[in-house]
Amino acid sequence: MQRKDLLLEPVKPIRINGKLTVNQLVQQFKNSGSFGAGRLSAACDIYERMVKDEGCTIFLALAGAVVPAGMRSLVADLIRERLVDVVVSTGANMVHDAIEALGGHHYKGHWSVDDSMLYKYHVYRIYDVFVPEEDFARLDYKLVEIYDNIAAENKGKSLSSNEFAWELGKRLNDPSSILRAAYEEEVPIFLPAVRDSEFGFIHWLHASRKNCQHALTVDAFKDVPKIVNICKRSARNGMAVIGGGVPRNTVQSAALASKRGMDYAVIITMDRPEIGGLSGSTLEETVSWGKVKEKANKIMVIGDAMIIFPIVVASVIERIGEDFRRAPHLKRRNFQATGGI
Amino acid sequence: MGKEAKTKRKFCGNCGNHNAYNYPDEVFCTMRLCSSENPIVPTLWCCEKWNPTSQDCYCVEEALKKKNN
Repeated sequence: MQRKDLLLEPVKPIRINGKLTVNQLVQQFKNSGSFGAGRLSAACDIYERMVKDEGCTIFLALAGAVVPAGMRSLVADLIRERLVDVVVSTGANMVHDAIEALGGHHYKGHWSVDDSMLYKYHVYRIYDVFVPEEDFARLDYKLVEIYDNIAAENKGKSLSSNEFAWELGKRLNDPSSILRAAYEEEVPIFLPAVRDSEFGFIHWLHASRKNCQHALTVDAFKDVPKIVNICKRSARNGMAVIGGGVPRNTVQSAALASKRGMDYAVIITMDRPEIGGLSGSTLEETVSWGKVKEKANKIMVIGDAMIIFPIVVASVIERIGEDFRRAPHLKRRNFQATGGI
Repeated sequence: MGKEAKTKRKFCGNCGNHNAYNYPDEVFCTMRLCSSENPIVPTLWCCEKWNPTSQDCYCVEEALKKKNN
């Protein structure tokens, strides 16, 4: 490389002239190309490429408390508009999705509050979001019944976390629900750490009742061949990761086990790489494992996913236009609706 | 059983098995749910399985206030 190759593109100042659409603002970020602005504009470009690539299966990995914070409908809409093909989530995010599907709410609170007072009022805090305990109690009560029903219908058969999530979605009558949207659109939704959420405690309640005839069985190991096959049978794979944790690892491990490696990757995180945890690990580090290809279109955006991800989605929706339609994942992959994955 | 727990009045809202439900009037009892009984009971009710909670909450105080108003 020569010196002149280092100085090809000058930074252009960000110009805000009157009204700007989201994508116009992102284009200004691209003109700057620097720091978070540059990374955010690159994330928009990569997600646009994923969406326009008919051979690409898009995995959305969801960690962190983004559903209680208000990202629920956005994810459900992405599923319905086919802008993601597979969802991998923490159990907790889907617990909060189910809470709202059953009429509960998350409330705007504050990060600086007397938590001892909240405790006495049976109100839980997720940073600056408040959740009343009764919404969890209602969830427990209703889901114990739903677990009974799922177990009775499946007659002792153990379910993968994907089948469990679809069974829940089938019984939640709320079009804004992520679980409902995934069930209706036949979008695979995996909950690899399903036990580590209220779903696990509800199972304890369900199974320990005197009149429980069939205890629901969920076998998370059954997910492994399913998600690996999805990767293996896709011409290309891409991932949009919110946070990190188990969902990011599940998607990346599928790319590794299928020997495919991700062709596209957008990661939004606040985590750091120095302590060796997966959530903060750089995309370069993932290349060493074969989880992401060396030449993949990839970017990590360091920032709050509640700000970054809606901007990415809004920008890309603006770019692709209203008439853009992406075929359902299962149809594109020529899989059978349920048995093929 | 702590000193404070000994002084608690025998109400569901002072029992270790309660969660909030229709605050402050009703609570959710996980023990009753496990026994296949209706788990939603008045905050100011109690049964023979009552055991004092270590949780200091406002359920009983607010239910009593509401009842007396």
